[in-house]
Amino acid sequence: METVDIVVAVLMAIGLFFAFIGTLGILRMPDVFGRLQASTCISTMGTIFVILASIVYVVANGISGSVVVKLVFILLFVLGTNPVSNHALCKGAYRSVKPNPEPIIDDYKEDDPQ
Amino acid sequence: MKGFRFTAWLSTAIVCFLFWMLLTWSVAPRELLWGGLVSVVVAAFACRFFIHSSAFYLYNPVRLILLVFYCVIIFFWEIIKANVSMAKLVLSPKISYKPGILRIPGSPDLKSDYGIAMVSNCITLTPGTITMETAQDQEGRNYYYVHWIDVAETDRDKAGDAIKGTMERWIGRIWK
Amino acid sequence: MTVFLIGAIVCIILDLLLLYRVFRGPTAADRICAMDALDLVTALALVLYSLHTGRTIYLDIALVVALLGFVSTVFVGRYLERRL
Repeated sequence: METVDIVVAVLMAIGLFFAFIGTLGILRMPDVFGRLQASTCISTMGTIFVILASIVYVVANGISGSVVVKLVFILLFVLGTNPVSNHALCKGAYRSVKPNPEPIIDDYKEDDPQ
Repeated sequence: MKGFRFTAWLSTAIVCFLFWMLLTWSVAPRELLWGGLVSVVVAAFACRFFIHSSAFYLYNPVRLILLVFYCVIIFFWEIIKANVSMAKLVLSPKISYKPGILRIPGSPDLKSDYGIAMVSNCITLTPGTITMETAQDQEGRNYYYVHWIDVAETDRDKAGDAIKGTMERWIGRIWK
Repeated sequence: MTVFLIGAIVCIILDLLLLYRVFRGPTAADRICAMDALDLVTALALVLYSLHTGRTIYLDIALVVALLGFVSTVFVGRYLERRL
């Protein structure tokens, strides 16, 4: 194997490991807030490192530049839209779900209930 | 059309045309003509959602270089630290943590919509914290309501420093 | 390259693990949280498979999958918040 292939494999393994961490967090956490926090691992480290491995592979093999642009766009869209959906889902869950480990401090309830 | 301004329209059209050129990846005259037409029409409808104040704010090369530097170095390092701590929490044999929702104060210099949105998105993207709401009190100070999965600090100011780290100072150099 | 095929298969296995939470999850918010993560992992699997086969049409599909998952999650979040 060449050096580039080893670099690509290592980067992709890091990304898939953190995607696995996020999946395990979604399966193991006790309530929905913990699951939302764990699922952020997939959208940050998992996506960043898998796309980075793909970009290294594409650049080293001299495939067309439009592929690199599309990969960068996928990364930018995921990093730009995922926090918005997480925030909307967290606010929705706050209104409808009872948290399982009770929050030790809750400023949101005191300050503006609706 | 309500709220239409020429500078906002021009700036949005330039960004739309750049997106078109990067996605089609060709410089044939037919592609450029259609791209220009479509981006002009789309920008006329979309500019009032994107730009409310100074239209050419981000066309400054210093700010663009700072933005790229922030995204590649500072933000990436924060994400790696937070991810490793989240991995430790998930892989521990018995999961136990103390969640909490804190009201942390924002920086007084950062008042524009894009700046507040970028700070709250960066807080949400680090695993372990989610911004639930941003608010503004009568004196014009900004607050972020942050759900923190493992509360280490119940004092609001110190918790704000621990959550935001150096991110807000760097974003304050990019946005007003 | 074979590495990409292995990566895509790992992504599909993670998808199956996430489907357990989608079927099991006690509340609607749990299901939607798992569906959002499933969208992202599917997009990653499509990216890796497109590099394995060398057909770039899968990259466009990955872009659309990542964007549409965001829209549906925001809608269900607003619904749970009783604003819709």
